Amino acid sequence: MAEEVHLGLPGPWAADYREKADHYTTKIGGVPDWPTVDMGIKPETLQCSLCGTKLCLVAQVHAPVAKLNIEERIIYVLVCSTPQCGPKPQSWKVLRVQKCRNVMQTEGGGDELGQSNGPPSTSVPEEQNDKNKIPEIDDDDFDLDALAEALEQAATLASNSKKKNKSKHANAPVKCPVLKEQACDPSIPVLPCFYIYYDKELFGGKGTVGSSSSELVLDKEIMDTANDEEEKWEGEKYEYDKAIGADRTFLKFKKRLDAYPQQCFRYSYGGKPLMATTKLQDPGTCRLCGSPRHYELQLMSPLSYFLHEAGDGSSNYAPSSWTWLTVIIYTCSKNCCLSSCGGNPQSCCWGVAEEEILIQEDEVR
Amino acid sequence: MADRGGQRGGDRGGFGRGFGRGGRGDRGGRRGGRRGGRQQEEEKWVPVTKLGRLVKEGRINKIEEIYLHSLPVKEHQIVEQLVPGLKDEVMKITPVQKQTRAGQRTRFKAFVVVGDCDGHVGLGVKCAKEVATAIRGAIILAKLSVVPVRRGYWGNKIGQPHTVPCKVTGKCGSVTVRMVPAPRGSGIVAARVPKKVLQFAGIDDVFTSSRGSTKTLGNFVKATFDCLMKTYGFLTPEFWTETKYVKTPFQEFTDLLAKPTKGLLIDAPTETVEA
Repeated sequence: MAEEVHLGLPGPWAADYREKADHYTTKIGGVPDWPTVDMGIKPETLQCSLCGTKLCLVAQVHAPVAKLNIEERIIYVLVCSTPQCGPKPQSWKVLRVQKCRNVMQTEGGGDELGQSNGPPSTSVPEEQNDKNKIPEIDDDDFDLDALAEALEQAATLASNSKKKNKSKHANAPVKCPVLKEQACDPSIPVLPCFYIYYDKELFGGKGTVGSSSSELVLDKEIMDTANDEEEKWEGEKYEYDKAIGADRTFLKFKKRLDAYPQQCFRYSYGGKPLMATTKLQDPGTCRLCGSPRHYELQLMSPLSYFLHEAGDGSSNYAPSSWTWLTVIIYTCSKNCCLSSCGGNPQSCCWGVAEEEILIQEDEVR
Repeated sequence: MADRGGQRGGDRGGFGRGFGRGGRGDRGGRRGGRRGGRQQEEEKWVPVTKLGRLVKEGRINKIEEIYLHSLPVKEHQIVEQLVPGLKDEVMKITPVQKQTRAGQRTRFKAFVVVGDCDGHVGLGVKCAKEVATAIRGAIILAKLSVVPVRRGYWGNKIGQPHTVPCKVTGKCGSVTVRMVPAPRGSGIVAARVPKKVLQFAGIDDVFTSSRGSTKTLGNFVKATFDCLMKTYGFLTPEFWTETKYVKTPFQEFTDLLAKPTKGLLIDAPTETVEA
């Protein structure tokens, strides 16, 4: 595969499963971190289409698209928390939340730039937006505000989800729009939460990646069998892998999993998914703009294993009833955004779109 | 994307850092500081299938429970855990060639037989560009195809079963192998190559007879394996009584309705359901 694949590998567990992070975090489980308090999401979107209970977050992936210059883009994977709905694909939901492109904030490009140069150098590309967003603040205040915002962003990234930001930068004025502690909605069901770190998949193709089997291959063994020339094994031809319980597709799937046995999800924007079974339905076209959907990421079975292990063994726990091998997520190839930003451009510049999900199950029969 | 995710996730201590828990006896605690205990040498098995998860937790103790319900085994670690005394042996590595425009492309085909010499045997065949890869892959495939072998008596039912229960025959390609029960002390009367398979299966005495082009030893070995697979497929008078069906492991260890398997009546379970 020419596309490079990023793997989401498990990092540390969250100290509290309901703790807040920011929308740049990639995590599994926990509470969804919406970018703004008022997202304008209809309550039906956050409810299971089969039974109506509130959906809980499985994965939140911060997925900017560098090619299209979209920095603020997050994908939320939600599932119904009742075990009865678990096997059915309609109980899953994927939301893609991204900032509409016509309004750009200063935070988007400010995390790496040192903004200590002053307003002229940094605000040139975003001049018109600054005028829209912060019309009252004069130059001195803007300088400190922007600097503090940039520092906040950098601190949020480096910290471990604890709110240490304020203590690190005592110089920053308090009126920065930092993530507020939102009122936690205790009625949302929550799965155990852990954070993700990324790694690129180094797959050497055939032969160079060691399998996870602990068998040592002795050269002597090879020599012994090679020297045994009493019988000639004749007429042998190439044979594809075959096992009684598993077909070729699954064996290839398992081989890639064995290279990184803890991978929780695979990310490859526009790439090819790793199939576990040969049957795959058509993802269809985007509901908003009608353009075709393409593959973006897929959740892998170690994720459901980790969530199952972290559960407390109660019968009401959804991940214990999951039997899927992989969950493939397709998103709109054009990254369309709902253009309902009329009126006040400051408040509703986030678009929410529902994307397609395909589940590959582990067939027992 | 990579930067932010990496910093958020903490230090990259390697795989499994912070995932030492789970399946280590403290599953009662939801969270906690217990994170260590990760082995460096052998990577911990993370099960992919539901059956693998049940085996890893220890809900399934014997591989016979899997055979009883004909569940497909998709992970070789399942067999490694359930059949502890499994030994493997490479029977042959032959080069196979393919003619291409740029000459010949040689790959190596490895035949590996695994077994515990007590009723379980598996055969794996793998082609790969390197010998080591072929052997490794063949061992995994052999473990995936471990089957039970039924043994019986030739005459008096004294002591442990030592031979095949009846005359069975297996076929692969043009080779047919027929196995006939033999009295105690006869030993395995077979050619060198299928004799190895029968030794790994745990059969002590048997008479064999083969037909077809047994020069093609690949087919010969597969025919023997096919013959062993059929020992449990043969209906003998012991099986004439009505079968008492039991719940599959998936139904037993979940409290809700699992996907129903064909033709299985949910009857009185023989094992208690764990919470």
